[in-house]
Amino acid sequence: MYFAYHNADLPIRDDLFAAHQSFWQRLAKPGAWFDGRHRVAIAAESRNAWDCSFCTARKNALSPHALEARHDRVSNLPETALDAVHRIVTDQQRISRKWIEDNAKKDLSEAAYVELLGLVVAVISIDEFHRTLGLPLEELPAPEPGEPSGYLPAGAERGTGFVPMLPADGPLGENQDLWQPGFTANVIRALSFVPDAVRDWKNLAAAQYLSIEGMANMVGQDDRAINRMQMEVLAARVSAMNECFY
Amino acid sequence: MLRVSAGKTGRQVDLHLVNGNREGDSPGLPFAAELVALAEAAVQRDEQALGRARHDLLERAGGSVLVDAAGVIGNFQRMVRIADCTGIPVDEHRPNQEEVRDLLNLWRFPSAKNTDAERTEGG
Repeated sequence: MYFAYHNADLPIRDDLFAAHQSFWQRLAKPGAWFDGRHRVAIAAESRNAWDCSFCTARKNALSPHALEARHDRVSNLPETALDAVHRIVTDQQRISRKWIEDNAKKDLSEAAYVELLGLVVAVISIDEFHRTLGLPLEELPAPEPGEPSGYLPAGAERGTGFVPMLPADGPLGENQDLWQPGFTANVIRALSFVPDAVRDWKNLAAAQYLSIEGMANMVGQDDRAINRMQMEVLAARVSAMNECFY
Repeated sequence: MLRVSAGKTGRQVDLHLVNGNREGDSPGLPFAAELVALAEAAVQRDEQALGRARHDLLERAGGSVLVDAAGVIGNFQRMVRIADCTGIPVDEHRPNQEEVRDLLNLWRFPSAKNTDAERTEGG
């Protein structure tokens, strides 16, 4: 069993355990565009990127394109995917539409990029929770066999941001569980070219922050030790330090 | 969201906390300085400062507050990357957003261009 929080000397809620455990199970399985082996490799590189010497040099360069990519690697991920993982972790402010389009002309399609992004940020979310609490990072799961589905959602459209997304006002068809038409936000739609990435987003957010329904409660939830204002101060300070305008 | 929550609860908060200024008065926000210190140490990946901030918050507010704060910090380390890596603009329906962004000078952030471009293209 992963995430043995009952051994920690902290009152970690059961829903946090359930959300993290659930994501680890999905991480090991084939997704839409990556098999289990590559998905776990993406998770491993998400961790490795923080200490990558090339990433440090690139972060300090005037342009992210000024240096030829020579990442420290811990996996056999293809070069384009490896670079994308590291860049999402260490230099996300300078990611552009053109860079995503150039990657798609190589071997990382827009949909694969969205799946990769969803995995990287989910691992970051869980790892940062551990690190903030002083807990060791969880061992990565063993990959499960199987091929990626190649699933593309019907109705995805361009016009918001760098990648196709499902429309805010629907119809969402078989993905209608993602949000109620007209009741969403761009940060929820952002990963919808790979609907399972939005499902991961929602599951983790519901435990670590708030569910979509819970976001309407501006006062605070009874099952949380901090109120909504305290949550939003944390959220805003983290966002400001990352220079995130959104 | 911070301002909306403050308005809803009738509590006072100094929005400059968002930019790291902890000298303002935020009587409606228990443990504000400790929470901000924890967030800053986590994002800066300063393990010594993080250890101190974790200890301070645990001592003053307790384990449940520390756990919930760590959850939110981890969640927003994720959210900022989703926003930046997909280039999404700010949603139009957010209340008071222009005023707050001007107050905190958030237009200085590189990712402001994703919203600025959208506004320009939109008319």
